[in-house]
Amino acid sequence: MAAAQPQVPHPSTDRKRVKVYELRNNDWFDRGTGFCTAGWHPIEDSQREPRVVVESEDQPERVLLETRICKEDGFHKQQETLIVWTEPSNGVDMALSFQEAEGCTMIWRFIHSVQQQFNPGAAAGDDTLSDDLAMDMHNTVQLPEAALGNLGMIEDSMRALSTTAASRDALTKFILNEGYILKLIPLVEQAEDFESLNDLHRLCNIMKLVILLNDTSIIEHAVSDECVIGVVGALEYDPDFPSHKANHRQWLKDSGRYKEVVRIEDGSILRKVHQTYRLLYLKDVVLARILDDNTFSVLNSLIFFNQVDIVQHIQANQSFLGELFDIFKTQGQDSRRKKEAVLFIQQCCSIAKNLQPPARQTLYNNFLSHGLLQVINFGLRHNDVAVRVGATDILVSMIDHDPQMIRRTIYHQIQEKQPPLTDSLIDLLLIEVDLGVKSQISDALKVLLDQGPPAQPEVYAKANGEHAVRLQPRMPTADPQQEQFLDLFYDQSAVKLFQPLIMLKDRTTMNFTVQQASMFTYLIEILCFFIRQHHHRSKFFVLNNDIVKRVGQLLVCQEKYLKLVAIRFLRQLIGLQDEFYVKHISEKKVVGPILDVLVQTMPRDNLLSSACLEFFEHIKKENIRDLMKYLVENHRDQLQKLVYVEIFRDIILKYDQTRGFSVSLDYFMEAEDDVRRKRPNVNPRTGGPMEYVTMDPAEEEYWNTSDDEEDQQAKAGGRAAPANGMSPGTKLVDYGSDEDGDDHVEAGALSAEDEGRLAADKMDEETPKPGEVAPPERLSEKRRREEDEEDDLGKLIQHKRRNSSSTSANSSNSPVFIRKGKNGASRRDSGGGGGPKKIAITLGSSIKAGNGQANSKSEDEA
Amino acid sequence: MSDLDKAIAQLRACRPIPEAQVRELCHKARELLIEEGNVVTVAAPVTICGDIHGQFHDLMELFRVGGDPPDTNYLFMGDFVDRGFYSLESFLLLLCLKVRYPDRMTLIRGNHESRQITTVYGFYDECVRKYGSANVWRYCCDVFDYLALGAIVLGASNTLSPPNEHISSEDYANADIEIEVCNADGDIMSRFQRRSDGERSPNGASASAGEKTGPPGSGASGSSGGSTGNPTGAVLCVHGGLSPLIDTVDKIRLLDRKQEVPHEGAMCDLLWSDPDEIDGWGLSPRGAGFLFGADIVKVFNHRNDLSLIARAHQLVMEGFKEMFDASIVTVWSAPNYCYRCGNVAAVLELSEGGGGESIMARSNGDVGRSDGGMRGVMMESEGAIKNGPARRYRVFQAAPQDSRGMPAKKPVADYFL
Repeated sequence: MAAAQPQVPHPSTDRKRVKVYELRNNDWFDRGTGFCTAGWHPIEDSQREPRVVVESEDQPERVLLETRICKEDGFHKQQETLIVWTEPSNGVDMALSFQEAEGCTMIWRFIHSVQQQFNPGAAAGDDTLSDDLAMDMHNTVQLPEAALGNLGMIEDSMRALSTTAASRDALTKFILNEGYILKLIPLVEQAEDFESLNDLHRLCNIMKLVILLNDTSIIEHAVSDECVIGVVGALEYDPDFPSHKANHRQWLKDSGRYKEVVRIEDGSILRKVHQTYRLLYLKDVVLARILDDNTFSVLNSLIFFNQVDIVQHIQANQSFLGELFDIFKTQGQDSRRKKEAVLFIQQCCSIAKNLQPPARQTLYNNFLSHGLLQVINFGLRHNDVAVRVGATDILVSMIDHDPQMIRRTIYHQIQEKQPPLTDSLIDLLLIEVDLGVKSQISDALKVLLDQGPPAQPEVYAKANGEHAVRLQPRMPTADPQQEQFLDLFYDQSAVKLFQPLIMLKDRTTMNFTVQQASMFTYLIEILCFFIRQHHHRSKFFVLNNDIVKRVGQLLVCQEKYLKLVAIRFLRQLIGLQDEFYVKHISEKKVVGPILDVLVQTMPRDNLLSSACLEFFEHIKKENIRDLMKYLVENHRDQLQKLVYVEIFRDIILKYDQTRGFSVSLDYFMEAEDDVRRKRPNVNPRTGGPMEYVTMDPAEEEYWNTSDDEEDQQAKAGGRAAPANGMSPGTKLVDYGSDEDGDDHVEAGALSAEDEGRLAADKMDEETPKPGEVAPPERLSEKRRREEDEEDDLGKLIQHKRRNSSSTSANSSNSPVFIRKGKNGASRRDSGGGGGPKKIAITLGSSIKAGNGQANSKSEDEA
Repeated sequence: MSDLDKAIAQLRACRPIPEAQVRELCHKARELLIEEGNVVTVAAPVTICGDIHGQFHDLMELFRVGGDPPDTNYLFMGDFVDRGFYSLESFLLLLCLKVRYPDRMTLIRGNHESRQITTVYGFYDECVRKYGSANVWRYCCDVFDYLALGAIVLGASNTLSPPNEHISSEDYANADIEIEVCNADGDIMSRFQRRSDGERSPNGASASAGEKTGPPGSGASGSSGGSTGNPTGAVLCVHGGLSPLIDTVDKIRLLDRKQEVPHEGAMCDLLWSDPDEIDGWGLSPRGAGFLFGADIVKVFNHRNDLSLIARAHQLVMEGFKEMFDASIVTVWSAPNYCYRCGNVAAVLELSEGGGGESIMARSNGDVGRSDGGMRGVMMESEGAIKNGPARRYRVFQAAPQDSRGMPAKKPVADYFL
């Protein structure tokens, strides 16, 4: 091996700046930037083997890549600056993208020389021109001369050669060296002239075979200016569809498809633009049906690297950017050109989505410094809907990339006393007619105002280490600017945003146009989000503007889907486990109208009745006393009509049985307060109503933190929302009474044994013994945390929330009530039929139900 | 010809309808779907279909094989979109047919009827390509949220009616056939008599147990009305499978389904789970839903008075696959899936039973069915697993290449970069 060395310039001293990519799920994943060396590395027994090594640029001691050059890897050089191969050890496709062509050539020379030794005679020739490897091959192949008469033979021998890897390689080289594609192309027109369908079909097959050789150089050649029309021309006559002819040539020849907003001066980049379009066309249209995974990924990586180059070129090209953004600065410019410029930027941003975050960041930074925001502003107000769509698209892709970036801009606007971007968005949302733009804007608003729970991020840190790490970047602790932004938003903008809802006050009829109805849908959806996110601010807003009452009005409108929206809003409020909202809802008497909706709908089984039933099921399951009391006391007649539904039977029963409780409410409150006072001295777990059989540290940690959380939040809540009239004491009442009442209901409601059986498999290691409530909750707490995490990750995507997950998401944002959640969470999580987790409760408490508070108190202290 | 019929004609030709028309269609569909329960009640006869996945031409083939709507009642078990190149046309056509013939078309939701999934697996992309914006995708996703989660087929007979005109119904009345497999032209490929325990049905599962269930005299007597056979236990149709959180069908009715398919919970499980040769529940390799074994299915069927669960969600090369003593069947209706899997597809035909009383027993409302598991167990404690309805699988292959254009995505019209 050492003998080979002298032939090769030893490149190990030349350090080449390079990016390492790895193919993951058909995407090129950037493993980092570093310096590449290739050379002979000593291994044991004073042997040496050829290796390519990349050391990280930032941390020189870190090795990004170390790969042995061995016989099996097919290293390929692509274009000027790329080397790709499949790692033989794990089969992962890798790529090295060099900063300079020269560096690439150096490394390639080494690799190539090593490979030559492995396959002597396979490919000699000029290393520097390795794209077209030489032809004196060991197993040289020869195809018949390209002529109509030979097509049958050509096809047959190509098929034969395509079967083994070695002959495929040889065939590939032959085709490239001979310029065979160019020789085939004229045959298409000849065959068309002779109207020889048979030949055309053969040509199509041959062309497919050529492309499915799956060689980058061939594919690049096939989409080059000189070849592309001929290649797709041949592919128009697919023998699988003998009576059809595609019109690929016509499509690609139409040069009008390329819109040039600002001239791209660099010829190679311009070529890449066209090449990329053709590759996409090839991938999506011409070859969509026949592509195998390999060719698909070859096409994808070609497209990806082209796009990287194009975007890099554009963002680094100051004069180009200057010209581009100047289009918007000049008055009276051709409005068509402005429109196209917006669409151009839109396309840039959508391409940028595929890039690695740092590259995307530079692109956006460059765009922003040239005045992207003005462009967005211009676009959002454009009367052409396509431009508005484009502008929102640009905005949303930037927000998706880094919401903090846009927020900073907004803070800046606020400081400058300019109207913030959010206000423009609100204006637009209210008048926009295009539903697409509208929903994008509403999403954008949500993301911009989503700043995580504003209060106590440190609680999260304790509650779940991993969780906190993920959250941190999104929650810079108590950013005063954020606070200011939110304050300002709730001071001024919120009222504007929810104006249509607030205006319902003076409305007597509830007939809406489609536009209005969809407006309410969006507004309420946004509001739901705000209520989850901005705990006390939104609470104050809801209270101040009497939002619950307004939403309640929608329950009598004609449109069923709007009724649904209203029900879901109220369902979310009660799902928050927030005493304040529960009280508020019963004061505002909006539960009655929901019952009305149900009575009107029943006994039909439809979406509306399901949503209503779910609403009441939740009240029953969570044992929301105030609402049950309110329901039975004010709507007993209606409930009676519905007693054939178990839920309502249970609610009435429950009320009748526990009516006595409310009398001794004060006593109860006191007792609970005692417990509360004692608790800090006791281990929170043993002080609580439940016990574990075994305890792991993480769990212990959890309970400790959840207690901290409570305390902290209790303070925060008291300070932050004095208006809501809640005090820790009142919460506690509910906590205690929760225990017995709920359990009783459960006992009747569910066939516990059956559910237990169902659940047993899922949680067998934690089988609860009678009286031990906690173990099932371990599971559910875990689930809840997972949900939180999910929700945090998924805040950009709002639609995925379902009721119960949103509830638990909320409970995390309103940790005041988590203490209740110790018990409540498990039930909540069990969702639609979470019976399994209730068995223990049932067993423990059916006794209790009879003799009330004392029992539950003692258990609390146990 | 109404606008709707025009739209149907246009979509049948595989040409998308204009955006404004889509909006209107989705609006109408929403009004209609909001009236459906989470579990729709469907009366036999009905033809049950599995995944379509945007293979429009194969959907046309399905209609050719199974009979054109509205002459045949159809129940599609979700996954209309993604993967294939004509998700848009396929889904819109089904939706048009639903709006046009609400009682003869039933669409339930599959795991691909979701915003998140469609952005990854092609439907989003397709809408953007075909309309230049994502609006149509948004309209469709709104409709997805309203789709029912399951269906219950009632009154299916335990005997079959003839598969084509050449066979007289007399022959059929006397043959006690449980399973019949037909090819695309309606010719019988294989038949399986009702058998006692332990014998095998087509793909390896043993046929369901028991004798004829009907009361004496109501059986295969060839009555003049042409309606032969007895009603059997109901058939639950759902895209994925069961959920550990759902022990009775009524529990499904208590879900608020109008939402994006969640990542976990009952609604997610119904759309994502798969049956598997395990005991009890298992983790699903899909990352959502669960695996469930024969014991789970049998207990569920018993408790809910079901004779069969029909589901889709998994590619089966033969088009259908019965498992667990024919207590659950997977139906797959996308032949040559992804244009390359080489599988055949099938639809499941259930014919109309004689007595109508079972339909009355299960009204669409909650009346009398809200007792949950307790009552179910007590009521049915005397009976064995219900006898399965007679099932005819029509197996078909991908539409002949020539009947369609070349399947391909629509290219992006203009480009700047």
